[in-house]
Amino acid sequence: MRKQILLFPMMFLLLIGCRTPSPLVVKPIDEQQFQQLVQQRAGKILVVNIWATWCAPCREEFPELVRLADFYHSKSVEFVGISVDFPDEISAKILPFLKANHANFANYVKAVSDDEEFINIINRKWSGALPATAVYDMEGKQRYFKFGKINPAVLKKQIDALL
Amino acid sequence: MQKIHIAIILMSFLVMSAFGGALSPGDRVNDFRLKDYNGKVHALSAYKDKAAIVIIFVSTRCPVSNAYNKRMEALYEEYSAKNVAFLGINSNRKEPPAEIRQHAQKHGLKFTILKDDNNVIADQFGATVTPEVFVLSKDLTVLYHGRIDDSQRPANVKRRDLRKTLDEILSGKELTHPETKAFGCSIKRIRR
Repeated sequence: MRKQILLFPMMFLLLIGCRTPSPLVVKPIDEQQFQQLVQQRAGKILVVNIWATWCAPCREEFPELVRLADFYHSKSVEFVGISVDFPDEISAKILPFLKANHANFANYVKAVSDDEEFINIINRKWSGALPATAVYDMEGKQRYFKFGKINPAVLKKQIDALL
Repeated sequence: MQKIHIAIILMSFLVMSAFGGALSPGDRVNDFRLKDYNGKVHALSAYKDKAAIVIIFVSTRCPVSNAYNKRMEALYEEYSAKNVAFLGINSNRKEPPAEIRQHAQKHGLKFTILKDDNNVIADQFGATVTPEVFVLSKDLTVLYHGRIDDSQRPANVKRRDLRKTLDEILSGKELTHPETKAFGCSIKRIRR
């Protein structure tokens, strides 16, 4: 009985520990690292959101992405955010926004040599207007792309079709 | 048959809107008339005697567009003296003429800024982002489409694309980079 009493809180703490997000970090990402991220799928779909702290619709849609990432937490879907702010703005702008919005997925800041090349790598037909969201299948092929605010129901449908 | 044609045109427009399929170098622009923030009407065809016409889709609220205020004004000051016309176009639904006037006065923007109600001209150009530049020839053909330069931060700029384009046009050279891209704010269109 005594063992059981000790076991329950331990199991509870273990469960909480599993769901506790790791400390928020924002890593720089260049063109090559982005392409590696897309290709190294390991059986997961990839949802990439490209945003900036200066972009009003990006800030507005972010909570929806957090909700979707939470919904797909235990499924084969990886969410990634890439901020196009400057790398020297991580502490002052990017992290405070991510913390305030309880970001629950991996986050990067673009550290590319050429914005135009990066835009074309993401989608050749894209003008660079923010926000933008891309969905890649388990083979790393882009299956959905949208610039402008997401419609969560539409994005969910796109993800579900690939699962 | 006519219905099929209409459907194809509509689908093409939707695809163009979804992917930002803007006018490209070589495309012709239809003449248009828009009011500036003081209510004065400007026709694009009125600038046909210019060496080139620079059209920049701008915003009062977009931090990227605002990062370029001084650079846009400096380019206007320099190249208007070389017979190049500069027209700003504001197509954002929530930025009315009074706000555009106030913004221009506050930031010392002396070039003409037109109000594009219902984003009709942004749709015609396929413009999606601010700031976004189209340089036209006097016969209203697109010569250049893209960015002003390659960084929001003046200190980081390596390629001054618009300046180089105008210099090449004025000296009769072939354009080195007629199409470029940059990150910016999406144009906030009306909901149709």
